[in-house]
Amino acid sequence: MTNPLLYPKGSTVLLLGNEAIARGAIESAIGFAAAYPGTPSTEIIEALASVAKDVGFYVEWSTNEKVAFEAAYAAALCGVKSLVAMKHVGVNVAADILMSSAYAGVNAGFVVVSADDPGQHSSQNEQDNRWYGMLAHIPVIEPWSPRSAYKLIKEAFKLSEKYKHPVIFRSTTRISHTRQPVTYEDDIPKPKTKGVFDRDIKRYVLIPIHGRKLKKILMEKWHKISSEEGKPPLVEVINPGRPKAIIASGIAYAHVTEALDYLGAKDDYTILRVSLPVPLPYKPVIDVAKDAKEILVVEELDPIVEYQVKKIIQEQGLEAKVYGKEYVPTDLDLDLEKVYKAIKMFRGETPETPWKPVEVPKVEPGIPPRPPVLCPGCPHRNTFYIIKTAANKAGLKDPIYTGDIGCYTLGYNEPFKTQMTSFEMGGSIGVAHGLSKVVDEPVIAVIGDSTFYHAGIPPAINIVYNKGRAIVLVLDNYYTAMTGHQPHPGTGYTAMGEETYRVPAEKLLESMGFKTFVINPMNVKESIEKVVEAYKAYKEGEYVAIVSRMKCALQAQREARKKGIKLPAYGINEDKCRGCMVCVNLLACPAIIVPEGKKKPVILTDLCAGCGLCAQVCPFNAIEVVREGSPDWIKAWM
Amino acid sequence: MPRYNILLAGVGGQGLLTLGSIIGNAAIEEGIDATIAETHGLSQRGGSLVVHVRLGDGSSPLIPHGGANLIIGLEALETLRYLNYANKDTKIVMNEFLWPPPLSKTPKLEDIIKAISSSARLYVVNANEEAKKVTGLIVTANTLILGFAYMIDKDLQSLLSEKSLEKGLERVFRGKALELNRKALKAGMELAKKTI
Repeated sequence: MTNPLLYPKGSTVLLLGNEAIARGAIESAIGFAAAYPGTPSTEIIEALASVAKDVGFYVEWSTNEKVAFEAAYAAALCGVKSLVAMKHVGVNVAADILMSSAYAGVNAGFVVVSADDPGQHSSQNEQDNRWYGMLAHIPVIEPWSPRSAYKLIKEAFKLSEKYKHPVIFRSTTRISHTRQPVTYEDDIPKPKTKGVFDRDIKRYVLIPIHGRKLKKILMEKWHKISSEEGKPPLVEVINPGRPKAIIASGIAYAHVTEALDYLGAKDDYTILRVSLPVPLPYKPVIDVAKDAKEILVVEELDPIVEYQVKKIIQEQGLEAKVYGKEYVPTDLDLDLEKVYKAIKMFRGETPETPWKPVEVPKVEPGIPPRPPVLCPGCPHRNTFYIIKTAANKAGLKDPIYTGDIGCYTLGYNEPFKTQMTSFEMGGSIGVAHGLSKVVDEPVIAVIGDSTFYHAGIPPAINIVYNKGRAIVLVLDNYYTAMTGHQPHPGTGYTAMGEETYRVPAEKLLESMGFKTFVINPMNVKESIEKVVEAYKAYKEGEYVAIVSRMKCALQAQREARKKGIKLPAYGINEDKCRGCMVCVNLLACPAIIVPEGKKKPVILTDLCAGCGLCAQVCPFNAIEVVREGSPDWIKAWM
Repeated sequence: MPRYNILLAGVGGQGLLTLGSIIGNAAIEEGIDATIAETHGLSQRGGSLVVHVRLGDGSSPLIPHGGANLIIGLEALETLRYLNYANKDTKIVMNEFLWPPPLSKTPKLEDIIKAISSSARLYVVNANEEAKKVTGLIVTANTLILGFAYMIDKDLQSLLSEKSLEKGLERVFRGKALELNRKALKAGMELAKKTI
């Protein structure tokens, strides 16, 4: 079966926004793509990796966003078209080289996809990365739908080639993670994957004497883009000449058109559709503002277009009154309702909507919240149970657990509380070191495997170098699990599915000077003993690291299915169970529930992953295998 | 013309994204436009989850509150939680399955059913058990409930033909999975015919 991403010109395929970006990039003949996974950007590189060998371009999961940027940028310097993708906070990690890339420019199309997350669906903040365009003097293109993303990513490559300059392509969650039918406009060209490095030292060595000259060239490009690129498809004036106008950037355009449909007011306004918000081309804005006395700017998050519109109008001495963030929220994702209300207010009407929701009826007790939880069989559950039990046994009093970014962040919740901070990738270890210098409690940095390779190594070295007193705990489940099991340096294969060298975390930690303990958290008792030993060594003043290694449960179950291995399932023997609730209260496994009105828990067999943690924890041996696994089932977890 | 809106509600991991994809692919077969807004990443790990399926011309991806024509709930608490996407004419098809979040106190299933019925037109299907009966696999409950919802909703039938729906399945599944899902879809439709 052919991958739908490879279908010929004219095919209509239901594509996720990220897949649409991937297909557009393939049609642009990219030869190189790199990324570090992060929601909502991940599927761009996943899609590209799934067809890389068929088309003949190169794809990698790099160790972090900065490294990915550098790799893809180097390709573009040599004349190979390239793409680098990351989530919004990933751009923070890559910001250093991003700033420099604007000075040195490129020799082939180079697009930086920033997938922002308004609404913080899976992120620590909702920063608006269009600012990075302003900061770095790199143009920003933002689509309004998956289909427009497919078309506009191609425009992004054209713009980059035209100016020999990097381009930021800013998607958001509601574009990256929305599906839409996309009809392919072009066939897939043969990409160029080899280039030439010309030793243009004055351009590539950014010492002050070179940089100052390059800044002048940069500003010339910048002014040229804002004066010449204000035309379709990047910027389009619809219904010119109306006395009122709406300027809609990115996804706001999708909401505005539908809201105006509902209002029956499509012809009442001049619409300026903006897909190049940075730098906002001034000509179309002047055209609109000459006729319109009132302008509403609709955009998601920050008033970046609004500020520029106001500046242009002021500079031109025009009189249009500009509205924006008075009516349009600055937080969360925009939607049809919010934009409908904003337009109503702009019209001077009460912000009522035509939709009449029913009230959610009251029930007793109320609807409990359902935050994300660790899956049945998740190895992090075992590890959290083990490290807490071991702390009690070893007399390690009131440890502070610093945390990081990954599924294990869910350990912040009851009953674990083994994540007390979570700021950014790798932060657990750096913060743990600082804490260990100023507090008396023991400090344990809890970090995932992928996150450790990403940004955990320099702060781990810092602990040993600067005589910190924090323990490093690496949760190694073999994958970048939260974003969908991408491989990383500890997995053993690459994005393109090739076998490769493994970089075991314990070897790195040992070489730094940590006394390193490796546990398999499926063996609970043995692991507790080993961690007690580790804690004792810590108390005696040693540098201590622990690596807890067990495969992600989702992946273990997937592999078991694939290989025809049957995993065991557990059940609770009602005669032996005394209803002590240890399994429920200490493990919070979604497969163990207490049915309404009952005093003893039951295990939902369909959901049980067969990890057996509950059976090892039950004080009355009441949890038993109810469905035998294949003889070699344990291999699926290794 | 206003777009036709289907809200899919459930728990991360239940297969909501696949369900949305089936409908979207059916739309392609039918030649109508669609957007399907999903949630990926952290929320997928056993959290409360909705998918917004919107059929017809337009690109705004989220259904307004009160704007759903049909709600398909794969779990009872999650169906109730998102009831404010319904208006008084919305049809709601709910799986007879209550999955309490860990360490929580939950209302009884019959109280949830009573509450929803008081506000909207509710159909309850024991999709997990019915699916297991037909295919032996609980994961096909989603396709079964889709078949059911399709059969009770004349508006959806006027938008998508039965054939497009089946072809939608073909674009999502292959081999044995396709066979089982075809069976589940039919079983859901038959079940609805008996219910109406």
